[in-house]
Amino acid sequence: MKTATARQRGVEHDIVQIPLASDTAPYYEPQGNEVAVFEAAYKRRLPVMLKGPTGCGKTRFLEHMAFQLKRPLVTVSCHEDLTSSDLVGRFLLEGAETVWQDGPLTRAVKAGAICYLDEIVEARTDSTVVIHSLTDHRRKLTIEKKGQEIDAHEDFMLVISYNPGYQTVLKDLKPSTKQRFVGLNFDFPTEEIERKILMAEVPGLTHENAQQLVATGRKARLLKDHGLEEATSTRALVYAASMMCAGLDPVAACQVALVNPITDDPELAEALMEIVNAHFAV
Amino acid sequence: MSSPAIRTLLDAIRESNGELLSEIEGVLPVIRPHGEAATLDWINACRTLSDFERDAGRAFVRGSREAEKVSESVLPWTRQALSIMRWRHSSPAVEGFMRNLPRAFGSLGHAGEERWANIGLTWCARSIECGCAYFATPVLDVAGRGGGIAAIEALNTPAEELYESRKLQLATFLPGAIRVRNLLGVQAVLPWAMRGADIMQSGRTRGEAYFRLESEESLALLLENMQGYKLADRNRLLGILLEVWLGEGLELKESTWSPEKGRPFMEIDGESLYFPAVMGNREEAIISVLHAAGHMRHGTFDRTAMKQMFTDAKAEFPEDGPVSWSPIFARYGEDAMRFQLIFDMCEDLRIESRLQKQIPNYFQRLISNAEAARTRHPDSAEYYDLGIATARDALRASRGEPVLDARFAPLFEAGATLADAHRIACEIYAVAEQDASLPPVRDPEAFTAAFLPGRGPNSTRVAHPQDNPDENSQTQPGQQEENQPDEQGEDESESPQESETGDEQDGGEKQETAGYGDTSGAAKRAESRPDGTQQGRGPADKGIPYPEWDYRESRYKKNWSWVQEKRLGESNLSETQRLMKQYSNALKRLKKAIQSQKPTRMAPRVKQLDGDDMDLNAVIEFVAEKISGRSPVPTIYRRREQNQREISVILLADMSTSIMQHLPEGGGRLVDRIRAGVLLFAESMEEVGDNYAIAGFCSKYRDNVSYYNIKDFGESYNEDVRSQIGGLSGRLATRMGAAIRHATKHFERVESRRRLLLLLSDGRPEDYDDGGDRRYLHEDTRMAVKEAVAKGVHPFCITVDTMANQYLPQIFGAGHYLVLDQINSLPNKLPEIYLKLRK
Repeated sequence: MKTATARQRGVEHDIVQIPLASDTAPYYEPQGNEVAVFEAAYKRRLPVMLKGPTGCGKTRFLEHMAFQLKRPLVTVSCHEDLTSSDLVGRFLLEGAETVWQDGPLTRAVKAGAICYLDEIVEARTDSTVVIHSLTDHRRKLTIEKKGQEIDAHEDFMLVISYNPGYQTVLKDLKPSTKQRFVGLNFDFPTEEIERKILMAEVPGLTHENAQQLVATGRKARLLKDHGLEEATSTRALVYAASMMCAGLDPVAACQVALVNPITDDPELAEALMEIVNAHFAV
Repeated sequence: MSSPAIRTLLDAIRESNGELLSEIEGVLPVIRPHGEAATLDWINACRTLSDFERDAGRAFVRGSREAEKVSESVLPWTRQALSIMRWRHSSPAVEGFMRNLPRAFGSLGHAGEERWANIGLTWCARSIECGCAYFATPVLDVAGRGGGIAAIEALNTPAEELYESRKLQLATFLPGAIRVRNLLGVQAVLPWAMRGADIMQSGRTRGEAYFRLESEESLALLLENMQGYKLADRNRLLGILLEVWLGEGLELKESTWSPEKGRPFMEIDGESLYFPAVMGNREEAIISVLHAAGHMRHGTFDRTAMKQMFTDAKAEFPEDGPVSWSPIFARYGEDAMRFQLIFDMCEDLRIESRLQKQIPNYFQRLISNAEAARTRHPDSAEYYDLGIATARDALRASRGEPVLDARFAPLFEAGATLADAHRIACEIYAVAEQDASLPPVRDPEAFTAAFLPGRGPNSTRVAHPQDNPDENSQTQPGQQEENQPDEQGEDESESPQESETGDEQDGGEKQETAGYGDTSGAAKRAESRPDGTQQGRGPADKGIPYPEWDYRESRYKKNWSWVQEKRLGESNLSETQRLMKQYSNALKRLKKAIQSQKPTRMAPRVKQLDGDDMDLNAVIEFVAEKISGRSPVPTIYRRREQNQREISVILLADMSTSIMQHLPEGGGRLVDRIRAGVLLFAESMEEVGDNYAIAGFCSKYRDNVSYYNIKDFGESYNEDVRSQIGGLSGRLATRMGAAIRHATKHFERVESRRRLLLLLSDGRPEDYDDGGDRRYLHEDTRMAVKEAVAKGVHPFCITVDTMANQYLPQIFGAGHYLVLDQINSLPNKLPEIYLKLRK
């Protein structure tokens, strides 16, 4: 699927890209009122928090919204060693001179982009506090090292995502951070919608296969409590569908896309394969 | 007609033994055609044998008629019988020999018979008891199904070997060996018997029980070597599959089936599913489990339907208590098996039509698996084939296609009940009785062979009717009872574990510390320990009061539960050492994993003034800022070193009575796994370097909640702590809320950014005084968790209660608990979970 940031492949381009009218809109199938909520939040420039399991469509949703709102999208994937310099910017050496380089957050604040901090809980709490002043009425970014602050561009918007799972019990966001956001809960789509998504994402997928895949996914998600850290995601179903359409046998496609990646436990794998076989192997 | 020689001989016999003569004369006509010489030899043999031992002679004469008929000879077996006589006390051998002769000739042929007899003679030469046992065993049993003389020889080889090496008597060996051979094949006999001989040496009774296949170890060995799919090992998988397809709340138990009981089936009683240890193959096992669960879910035990059926059958239906199926079949007397087969087929079709809607391709799987089995029992093949045909029909019906056999069609409707199945079965039976389209079945083997793989008799157990036929209900009524609180533990004095629970109640009071409102730590407790002898229940040892949440009034009850902090009385160093040894490999692995994680785990402290490594980012920053005219602080080093204690954790173990239970899968008790888990946890914590404490809790009534401090924060992990872990045992009930509050209080003394309260539990919160209102303590625990969170403590619950999904989400919140469905994995999992949580 073509997105705004993929116009020229294999060429580096700036992280701030305004979507062009000629781009294909990222496909997204609304599950509820999330589009309306997001549009309202955008009108008021309120920061938004996307919660939900891996692979249920958070990122795609945001791509879709950014496109609809014609705003550039700047994505930062957060990780343990992410410092505030990585977000705000730092001095670099150039010859004997130093130059200041804006970090992605600063770029977004200046350009009026939507800044997306993916999996924010992974970042150290001390680096996430820099967003505090951006997420309340001040809408300001302080650049400590330069002794400056920037009032955010009027179109700037901050979006964070996180995935409440048991792995992050000790890594929850600080309540003071959390309460600055409008929260949108995501979950795996309903059967009907998930099937639509599969058919749209993977052209050539038969209706029957889509139906079977969705049913398989539903059942596979029931295993979550038995030691699967991540449930079978819609993304994984899309992968399985793609593999099928690339000519792979359905059972094999499910095995490589839905079973092998998510568990090393032979018994769980066997149970997952049972589900796959029940749906596909006749 | 008789020759003079014969006549003389007979006359001689008449004089000595008139009785024998009349028997001889009865058989003589069939012997005579073999010629005079043979007849003479035969009569002589009669006489010799009779003179030797009267019984032997009589048995010889009586067996001769049949022997001659089958063998069409006289001399070979006459000589063989005479040679047995060489040994004293051999008359039982002769009797057995004669009894077996016709079969031996019939099934083994002349050459085979000779070999068979010779083997027996060799045994007689070894010991006449063995010889007697050999000849007494029916030759067809020894040869097995279609085995012939080769099978006899194959079985004889290990027998000889064991006799030579271990003096194992044939009488002990043979009956069991035949069964083992039939079940597992001849190669399994020798190892099985070797083990038996070992056991025999340690005790005769035990050994004999082993050889009779009655002892546990013998059956276990058999099961281990059985071909087929071992359900007991795949308990977890089957449980998962049940949950996936049919929802939570179905209970799987192992049945008492053992290999020689014939074909294994799943059994159901309206409360639980019972699986045999082994089934033919994986397909059959999985279909069976799903099928049985279908009965549980779709109304085979629905009280209304059962009642209707009993009324239709003009039988009385008991108002309460378990229900026996027998009145349903009793009407058919001798022909009950035929009716049962028809009835089971109808009910199975009804259930499976519903399963098909839940489990895609269920019928396809059932049918293809049933067709794969090529052999049919001749007496019940009609049933098997009808089973397949009707399953095909049900499959057609599920696709909306027309069915071929209209008789069964109503069963495919969604609204059909058990009573409908019974009615249709009666109709079909009435027709079958007339035209014998479905023949009567008398042989139990034919009966069991009539079921398609995956199906089975539905009424093998007494039924527990289900009152709530709600198919979607997650909890079956049966379970409610199963999960009854641990309060049965109150009469624990009768339990065999008593010796281990020495610290309960009064015994524990010795250790009881004087209550202290401030948690001033180990030092104070150490002080108070020596004078712990004070008796009585003064306010001082009432402990620390905590409020409790009453959901009915939506308010806290002040000073409601009282927690007494104690030291664990019992310790068991040898158990600790045993566990350390048992889990030494696991421990090694864990430590290795922890060490390999260390560099990343102990996040390098960046931007330090000194250190062993340059922090490249900081250096660039420093140089850059310096050049740009600022005067930065040279914090350009990084250091790998443990940060100040980042996490502190309390492992709080539920020490209620229920942990003393034996594990359903065998191999000891739950408490053994808990001890091992806590031990491995402590060992890995030492390696990790986090600040931790270990405690246990139990309760009896609200004013008697015991909190056992096994290892406090800052206390060293010494022999004393180790041996206390080894001595962990279960007592009393589970007032979780109070324990959580007390543990939360413990955290107040610790400086750390993150605080984790790891609860290790095996069941829901319960106490003797909760009046059966489960919700009360649930709600209280939920509030205690909320309070803890508010105080910056993260409670996380690890449980081995597979039903925990029903209540833990409400108490701890989604993602703050983990259900371990394999208890055996607990020891290894506990440290792993912690390491994962602390990342």
